[in-house]
Amino acid sequence: MDAAGVVLTAAVVGLFAGAPLSLVRREVGYATTLVASVLLLIAAVWALGFGSVHGLGWSGPLGDPESLTLDGLSAFFALAAAIVWVATSAYSLGYDDRPTPVLAVCYSLTLGAIALLVASSSWLLFLVGWEVMTLASYGMILQARGRPARVFSASFVFLAFGEASTLLVFVAIAALHGVTGTFSEVPALAAGSLGTVVFVAALVGFGLKMGVAPFHMSEWLPIAHSSAPSNASAVLSSTLTLAGAYGLFRVLSVLPAPPLWWGAVMLAIGATSVLLGALFAAVSEHTKGLPAYSTIENNGLILVALGIALIARSNDLPDLYVFALFAAFYQAIAHAIAKTALFLSAGYAEHSAHTFDLNALGGRSKGVDGPAYLGTLAASLSLAAAPPLAGFVSEWMVLEALFQSYRFSPEWVQFVGLLAGAAVALAAGLILVAMVKFVGFTLLWRPRPVAGGARAPSLGAPIAAAGAVIFGIGVGAPWLLRFLTPAVAALAGGPVVAPVAGLLAVPNGWSIVSGSPFGILSPPVIPIALVLGGLVAFGYYELGSRARPRRVEPWMAGTPPGRERETYTSFGYSTGVRIMMSSVLATREVRTRVGSVTQAELATPVSYNVELEVLDLFKVFYDELVQFGESLSAALKEGLMPGRLGRYLAYILIVTLAVVIYVAWAA
Amino acid sequence: MASWIEQAIARGILTTRYPRADPTEAEVPLTGRAPVPGVPPVPWAAAVDSCPVGAIAETSVDQGKCIRCARCLPYGLAFAGSVESVGRSRVALRAGGSDATRSAGSDPPLSGFARSVHVFLVDVGSCNACNLEVLALANPFYDSQRLGIFFTNSPRHADLLLVVGVPTLEMRDPLRRAYEAIPSPKAVVAVGACPVSGGAFAGSPGLVGPLDELLPVDVYLAGCPPSPLGILNAIRTAAGRGRSAEGE
Amino acid sequence: MTRAPWRVEPEVAASVLPPPERALAYAPDDGAFALYNDYQEGAAVLVPSPRAIAPREPLLVWAGAGEPGGPHPLAPRAAVEGYGVFTFPYGPVTLGVPEAGKFDVTTYGERVLNLAPIGGYKSRRIGRSVVGLPVEDAALRVERMAGNFSAAHAAAFLSATESATELEVPTVELWTRGFAQELQRIYNHFHVLARVAEAASQNVGVAQAHALAEEVLRLQGAIFGHRWLFGALLPHGPPRRLDPPHRKAWSSELSRLSDEFDRLWTLFLESRTFVDRVQGTCPVGRADAIRWGAVGPTLRASGVAWDDRLRVPVPPYDDLFLALSHETAGDALARISVRAAEVRASFLLLEQMLDRWPGTSARSLPTPPVGDGRGIGRTEAPSGDLVYDVRVRDGRVAALAFRSPSTANWPVFALGMRDAVFTDFHFAFESFGLVFAETDG
Repeated sequence: MDAAGVVLTAAVVGLFAGAPLSLVRREVGYATTLVASVLLLIAAVWALGFGSVHGLGWSGPLGDPESLTLDGLSAFFALAAAIVWVATSAYSLGYDDRPTPVLAVCYSLTLGAIALLVASSSWLLFLVGWEVMTLASYGMILQARGRPARVFSASFVFLAFGEASTLLVFVAIAALHGVTGTFSEVPALAAGSLGTVVFVAALVGFGLKMGVAPFHMSEWLPIAHSSAPSNASAVLSSTLTLAGAYGLFRVLSVLPAPPLWWGAVMLAIGATSVLLGALFAAVSEHTKGLPAYSTIENNGLILVALGIALIARSNDLPDLYVFALFAAFYQAIAHAIAKTALFLSAGYAEHSAHTFDLNALGGRSKGVDGPAYLGTLAASLSLAAAPPLAGFVSEWMVLEALFQSYRFSPEWVQFVGLLAGAAVALAAGLILVAMVKFVGFTLLWRPRPVAGGARAPSLGAPIAAAGAVIFGIGVGAPWLLRFLTPAVAALAGGPVVAPVAGLLAVPNGWSIVSGSPFGILSPPVIPIALVLGGLVAFGYYELGSRARPRRVEPWMAGTPPGRERETYTSFGYSTGVRIMMSSVLATREVRTRVGSVTQAELATPVSYNVELEVLDLFKVFYDELVQFGESLSAALKEGLMPGRLGRYLAYILIVTLAVVIYVAWAA
Repeated sequence: MASWIEQAIARGILTTRYPRADPTEAEVPLTGRAPVPGVPPVPWAAAVDSCPVGAIAETSVDQGKCIRCARCLPYGLAFAGSVESVGRSRVALRAGGSDATRSAGSDPPLSGFARSVHVFLVDVGSCNACNLEVLALANPFYDSQRLGIFFTNSPRHADLLLVVGVPTLEMRDPLRRAYEAIPSPKAVVAVGACPVSGGAFAGSPGLVGPLDELLPVDVYLAGCPPSPLGILNAIRTAAGRGRSAEGE
Repeated sequence: MTRAPWRVEPEVAASVLPPPERALAYAPDDGAFALYNDYQEGAAVLVPSPRAIAPREPLLVWAGAGEPGGPHPLAPRAAVEGYGVFTFPYGPVTLGVPEAGKFDVTTYGERVLNLAPIGGYKSRRIGRSVVGLPVEDAALRVERMAGNFSAAHAAAFLSATESATELEVPTVELWTRGFAQELQRIYNHFHVLARVAEAASQNVGVAQAHALAEEVLRLQGAIFGHRWLFGALLPHGPPRRLDPPHRKAWSSELSRLSDEFDRLWTLFLESRTFVDRVQGTCPVGRADAIRWGAVGPTLRASGVAWDDRLRVPVPPYDDLFLALSHETAGDALARISVRAAEVRASFLLLEQMLDRWPGTSARSLPTPPVGDGRGIGRTEAPSGDLVYDVRVRDGRVAALAFRSPSTANWPVFALGMRDAVFTDFHFAFESFGLVFAETDG
């Protein structure tokens, strides 16, 4: 093992070591994970820059050689995860104030497990990491504050979906063993029909973890319904889903030439997730639920990009193939960091205002310190695809890839691409509504100043750092893409060239090209242009008229502004979406009369209570499924095992007779 | 669709040629003009007594107080001139003479709105007649937009504040907020006898009084209500392109 | 469509009110009497004893009757709570509603859950300030109660003082009052149609309707010397032009306007987009309209055939043909259809009046009323039934109270606006033809 290998091994070991150290003292545990995350970051950067890093190796239980290895693909996911973990570990130092260290222990275990499965070189180690990750996350979610019954049922949903995912991953790995004959993560030469089994099992299994439709309930319900601790939510939404994406990417990298329909299926599922995620985010009023739905949308975008890549590969369009792969990778890292910042800021709001309700928060900027404010703003703007941030570049790349679906053949694939493009575009609009709600109604304005909540610089710094990273990788996107070339090459199975170039006055390597010729975008130029424009405007203002601005109160049609409940709420802002999409959201208004029903309406005021509710139809489906399962099992139990002695004796008799007859017949 | 076009063409052009031409009698009826001493009054005291608001004094008529009840007609007063009196100060409305845009000489010229001016209307206690006359500026007969006069929904976008009605106690604060919400440069126009002098309700309990006790008024327009052409004249004066900066 | 199709509704309670077909038109504060409209009999009923007022009558504030207490609600309130529900103020300074009045809109987003009109912002305290003035001078203020209804207010007030002092009024004076009111009715209905079309952005129609309204104003100015009929019906005012050569000219002008309006109205009805915007908007059912005290075109649009000109006729209406127009849908389209039909009826009335004009055009009112007494004057203003209750002492006003059609219609408007969407607000508001000036007094 060389130096880099030692660093890698130390990182993985350190992450696990945080668990027992947390039992001693919580801050030591978090500090350990912080240091280990930094080590992992160094190892990942080394791997992407200089080639694969090989850490500790040993011989597995089945005789297979196993080791901790970061090749290009693993290195990318390790990089993204490590950046997230640095932020969340630093945040947890100041955030975790629970009576028991269980949260810290489970936190370390989760991080260690994810690092293990990313750095694994064999599928068995991957599976071990996967299951530990699920169980440790379950432990984290159980630490939620709230009514025990609700917390338990929400965690149980998470566990159920998690175990289903493990089961399907198990099936996929077994089928893969059938194809390659080994458990090592090496590419297969030919797939055959088992390849389809691998693909379907992997897609559904990893899709369950990523939270794509129709399994998105596993993503939003545990977070929104049980108010899991914020560092846990950040890790769950960012890195758990990243682990799911890694599994899918790895499976695709080992399977040979995929048929066309794989890409089409991924495209369709991804587009549905994008639209549903954005729609539910737009009507959510929960500070954690809204980002959870946004995670569903972003992971859908990753699937969309992957789907286009696969279709392009089947259609023999190498430049689109490479571009779509870069888009998928970039989308993954952009989302992971931005979502982390968003969940951490929701935790900040909970810390100071003790609520998860967007309508109750309203204008916290007076009580939020500057760095946290800027970080949250940058993260939500990135998720709303505002230039020059990372989310803007990733959305641009995905849309450019979708635009080129006209090059697909046969026509039905073009049609799928068309519908997917429309869904993604609609979702971009809806997620804008969601992010405006998240930022505008919480941070930006309130009619009267709020009695300031406690400022917490230790909570604010990680958020600001994440925001700065978002800005950095947004503006520096061309260089990041070049840096990620080894990762894409590992997935594509051959050398690739990053799609960067230059045009006119923009130097070579400063722009991203989406096809030749098709589209071009230069992210670094945007802030330069903004600054120049700003200088011009500032100069004009300084040199021009010197009228002093006059401060006045906001105009509210002549009434004094700033009274309670007199301005638009976050709920009111998105009711337009609730009403327009009432068929998809099953919008319903429930009106009840409060007070005595014999009041003469003209003489005294009547009181009403009005609630406008929306519904996730998929949750209805799952509830029906669960009910069906329970009634079926109850029926079977009643039918087969009624607890009557006579029936059991009859079973014994029947089986004995059957055995006797079989033995007699076989002899 | 086609029938709307036929209808519009069949009606022809209705717009007045004011201010390029003088108003016609149809546009400004009898009481749409300013009261001035006509035939030497016999006896003048009877004319003074006939006015219910005390607009007629020793030898002059305070046009700002006149509510156009026409009781003074038999006593030698006439309603003359083509549009109502527009004055840059309260004093300027106190005189005889016709169609005077009187500047008191040292008034600073109002400027800055030569091409387009945006107007915000505030009703502080009117009978609705002045409101409707101001809104009538948008109809095809007057078409204020051809003169670059636009009405805005929000005071933030306005240059002129048009006030109609006699200020009531309850509207004092909203009026102040509206005034403060308008960015400088701005001008205030008091439209009609009510804000200029209290009109028919001068001295009533529960009313604040003339508008210039609340806000600095730049242009005073007499009338009850002033005709749309009078309002146009006042807006153009406030915009710095009065019918006559020197008096016509 | 503006109604929510997916609502779970609780049961509605019965309440204690007058019999279903009888509505309270006016009841003074001193309880001396109560004036009812009986829609079944088709007659006005005056009940002289205070004990005749049923318990728990609608306790709405009659304008002009007492102390103006600052801004106050004009319709009974409903308090609405819920997650995300908020109440924002619209007014008192807006451009959509040109007068000074506020609306508190309770909503959870796109839908109006409760609308509370708040008046009292532009109260000039006319009811108090005319006390002690001679009737003639008081009339100067009363006709400026609401400028676009000046003829109706002047006519009702004068009729109240004349009935208080038992003054005989020459026929030609009564015919002049009817003539002026019909002209102003036509102006107001044109104006309402133009404002509703403005809300629908039917720009050509808006311009044409406003042009027609302007032509009526100019006609009023030509006949009575004042565009808004200030002083037209008072003993001393601008000279009138109602001699035979002028009457011929007005007759042909009126028939030209009538033809223009017929063409315009047909175009509006053929415009699918316009009809779509007003059909089903802010509907008021017949039972609600009676129970909440609606008057005027609002009442007639909800299916009740009541018009003061027919049910409480004073000259000239007792001698002229008037076809009562009513609809049953109670929505904005019905309200403006009723007004369109009334325009035609008014043109017919004016034609009849010009044909059979009794006498000269000179004012022939004798000296002002003298004596003491209390009188009630009623007339059908363009927005509905207007009642004045005046006490005269020594030829001066001792007390003044009135109930204007806008005061009666505010609760109906607030009720109809429940469950409408924001964009329906202007259609509804303009179709009722409500004026804050005559509510605040």
